[in-house]
Order: sequence, then structure tokens, then C-alpha cells
Amino acid sequence: MTRLRVPYVEKIWRIEDSLVVEVPLTPDEAFARLDPLFQTDGTRYAIEGDTLGYLKTNPRAQDKLATFTSGTLRVEPAQGATRLTYQAASTALLLCFLAPLLFLFFAQVMEAANQWERAKAEASETAKKNKPDEAKDKPLPKLHPIDVMLGAPAPKDPKADKDKQKEPKEKFKTTPAYALAGLFFVLFLVGRVLEPWLLKRTFRQALTRPHGEAAMVDGGSDDPDPARAAPA
Amino acid sequence: MAGVQVGKRIIGADAPVTVGWENIDRVQGGPLKQAFFTYFQPVVLFALIAFWYNAPNEWALASVGIWIGLGFKVLLLALEWVNPRYRSWQLTWKEFATDLFYVGLGYTALRMISGYFGDDVMIEAIRGAMDWDKFTWFIGLPLLVQAILISMIFDFGQYWMHRGMHNWYPLWLTHAPHHYITQLNINKGAVGNPIELFLIGLGIGGFFDFLPRAFLIAGAFGMAVGTYQHINVRFNTPRWWRFIFNTTEHHSVHHAQDYEATRSNYSGTWILWDRLFGTCVDGEAELLGMEGGRRMDIGETMVFPFTQAWKDMKARREQRQGLGGASAPQLEPAE
Repeated sequence: MTRLRVPYVEKIWRIEDSLVVEVPLTPDEAFARLDPLFQTDGTRYAIEGDTLGYLKTNPRAQDKLATFTSGTLRVEPAQGATRLTYQAASTALLLCFLAPLLFLFFAQVMEAANQWERAKAEASETAKKNKPDEAKDKPLPKLHPIDVMLGAPAPKDPKADKDKQKEPKEKFKTTPAYALAGLFFVLFLVGRVLEPWLLKRTFRQALTRPHGEAAMVDGGSDDPDPARAAPA
Repeated sequence: MAGVQVGKRIIGADAPVTVGWENIDRVQGGPLKQAFFTYFQPVVLFALIAFWYNAPNEWALASVGIWIGLGFKVLLLALEWVNPRYRSWQLTWKEFATDLFYVGLGYTALRMISGYFGDDVMIEAIRGAMDWDKFTWFIGLPLLVQAILISMIFDFGQYWMHRGMHNWYPLWLTHAPHHYITQLNINKGAVGNPIELFLIGLGIGGFFDFLPRAFLIAGAFGMAVGTYQHINVRFNTPRWWRFIFNTTEHHSVHHAQDYEATRSNYSGTWILWDRLFGTCVDGEAELLGMEGGRRMDIGETMVFPFTQAWKDMKARREQRQGLGGASAPQLEPAE
């Protein structure tokens, strides 16, 4: 199947890298060591000669390849060592890159709602003026004597507050939406650097450890301690 | 799997659940670490109550509460790295980004929906229609009593809404995605279908009048107790605390892969409600989630109530017509 390539834009969600391990391995030996990474739920993979292709559908949270859900790996000899060249793609990185746009959109919707509310409030301003002020009739709430004794500050007079309030209060604060847009952009940058580094480390650890131990690389097994099983 | 009998129920027959406080692990490490993770929770709660009780009026603002809440979450994220309950719940970049997306929805889209259809709007409409003033029964009580009442009234509503979600199919469809989380981390409380998050946020507190300061103290209970529902930190929770308050242990049982365990510990802050209504199970679980721990992605979470309702309707129709859909499993049978 031919795939459309967009060289620079693709860097948002695709990585290409290689690593060399000082152990001479045939492709079969290398893939055997990497095999535990593909023996996880929702993973399909195929090996053809020196190349392995994989695809993960909604992998588990602790899956070592959870961020990079598809990719191809190629093993080749490199002067008494082994070179692993790989490409991988991450939907999570792409969505994280796009997430700021969604939150900016929410901010715009909130701005529009605030404008509409302001217009509505202005229209009903005269109607409000004719209404008796409820706050004026309400007695000032008092603290319980125990609280007075313990020194809790007395409640504010709402009427005093009312005089101070000149700026109309917005119905929806847009600051969180803008902050989230910024946060997702930072998170994307962190992920774009951290996740490829972790992937490389995972591959390196898997290749340099003897077969059978690869599942334990960085962070232990996904399986809980069997000793935690329900007591009889 | 044999499971453990708790009241009339067998807990842990489908998947591992540790039942009983005596079987729960304790914090490992030196005396300083032990002391920190034993007293952290009560110290934070009492400090927050003391702060809101005595803070001058210029500081006693909801915006200050939001900043304290954000700082507290960052601290708890750090504690998840220092002393995780389970390594299998370790927060990854992808999990953090996913959780943050749901948190973001709560601060934006959900806030807009609640602004027009939330409990405040509904209560205002009811009060307007009935010409009711707010009930001022509590405003003369001591601040701490008011705060506890606010917190307990809200949690009482949450308890029954949550229990309803586990027992009434239409509500369950909205709540089910939240039970596909496979680990507990600090922002996992926000993970779920927006309809459920809207429903669980409904409360009846708007009918009552309290002092604003009492609301802030009530918020301290939510922050310094409710937050621990979803967190990957091992604490040596004091005996009195776990008798009164909800804990990570309780909530992990509620999220267990074991079906019967999920039908327990419905409250958000006050586990006393579960004790009172006979749904409390003291224990903890590591293996969490539905369908053996299948992780649900964001797309599926958003459409699940509708797609699952359609699938179930189709299966029932086929069953009625004898087309062989009889074996289609029901996601969660009613009580």
C-alpha cells in the first residue's frame, strides 16, 4: 500500500531512528528478544526476513509501546554489532499536538456566550432597576457565638461588595481554556522528546538482555503480584 | 477463585480483591517516610480547615481555593512518583495527556453545559416556580457544622446518583466508561463520558443558604479527602480516617475487575454513607477495569452510551425474533 508522505509535517507524529547494540544478533535472535513487546493485548505483527511491522489497537496503559502504536523495525549487522533501524507513528502525539486548537475553540465559544450574556444583561438592566433589591432587605448574616469566640472573621457585607462591583462578572472564565491550550502544547513538546527517548531505551534494553527477560525492562511487569490474590 | 464473604456477598470471586484492612500492605521505608505517609492526609485536612476558618475575607475566595487545589494536585503527582501504591499504575506520558484532556473538558465544555443546564439553573427554576426562598436553617450554626452539612448533603446526593448509575441501565450506560480505567492516578476522577460527569456533579445544595466561608471549608473536605479516591500513592491511612472517609483502598475495590466488588463504596468523600446503607467493603484491588482491564480510548468514551445502547437494543430485538442474539452478554445486569 502506498502511503502519502509529508516529510516535515510528519515529524509531529512519526519518528525514525536507529541504535547499535554491541551484540551480534541475527534478525531472528533480535526479534525473539523484542518479542515480549509484541505479545500484548491488541497487538498484531508480522516478520518478513529482517523486517518486523507492528500495529497496536488501543494498547494497555502500561504497554511499553503504548504511545507509538504502529511501526516497522529492521535488523542488520554492523561490524560485529547489530543495528536496529526503526520508524514509528503515534496517534497520541498527533492528538496532543491538535488539542490546543480544540481548547482555543472552546475559549472562543465561551467568549461568544459571554458577549451574548452581556447583551442580555444590558437589555434587562432597566427591568432589574424597577425590582426591589433583595440584598437590601436581607439582614447581615452573623457568625455563631462559638465562631466569634474562636476568632473567625465576620462575613462580608454583601451590600458593601455590591457598591464596589463595577466590572460585570463574566459567566464563563476563558482563562482555563487558554491555559489548557498552552499546557497541551508544552505537553506535546515534552512527549515529542521524552517518548522517542523512552522507546529507544526500551528497544536497547530488550536487545541487550537475554531472551525471556525483555518483558521486565524498565518499570517491571504488567502483571500484579500473584500474592495479592483474594485470600480464601 | 473463592472470594471472601462480606455480608451476603462474595467479593473477589471473578478477580483478585484484598478484603480486610489487616491484609493491606503498609508503607515501606524508614521512620521519616513512614511518618510522612501516615500523617500527611490528616495534617493537610486540618491545615486546610484551619486556613479557611481563619483566613481574612480578602483571602477567603473561591479563586484562592482553585489555586490551592492546583498546587495540591501537583504535589500529589510528585507523591505518585515517590511512593506509588502499585508500579502497574505508574503514570505515563500518554495516560497523563489523556487524563488532562478530560480535566480540560470539565473546565470548558462541561462548565458551559452546566452554566445553562446545571443544578444551579434547575434549582433557581424550581425556586422561582414555587416562589421559594433558600432554606436558611443552617446559617446560624457553627461554621464547621455548616461545612460538614454541605459536604455530607452533596455526598449523599452523589452516593445515590452513583448507586443509581450502577443499578439503572440508562444511567449505567453513561457511567460505564469511567469503569474502563485500568489504574488510579490523580486526574482519573475526570475520566468518563461527559453526560455522566454532568450528572454526577448535580447536587441539591443550592436549596440551602450557608455562609460563603462554610462552602470553602466544605471544599477542603472535597479536596483533602475526595481527591484520594483516584491516586497512586500508598498511605498508612489512620483507622479513624478510613472509618469516616473514602480512601484509595475503598475506591480501588469499587473499580476492581471483580463484578461484585464494583457494587460497593459508592460515596465520594464520606464512606459513612456506604456503611450506613450497607454497601461498604473495606479492602483494596490492583487489577482494575471492565472486560478484564480493556482500556477505553477517548473516542469510544465519548460515544459509548449511544453505541452500547444501540448494540443492546439490536441484541434484544434479535433475541425476541429468535435470530441467535441470545448469547450477547449484558454489560452489567441490574440488581
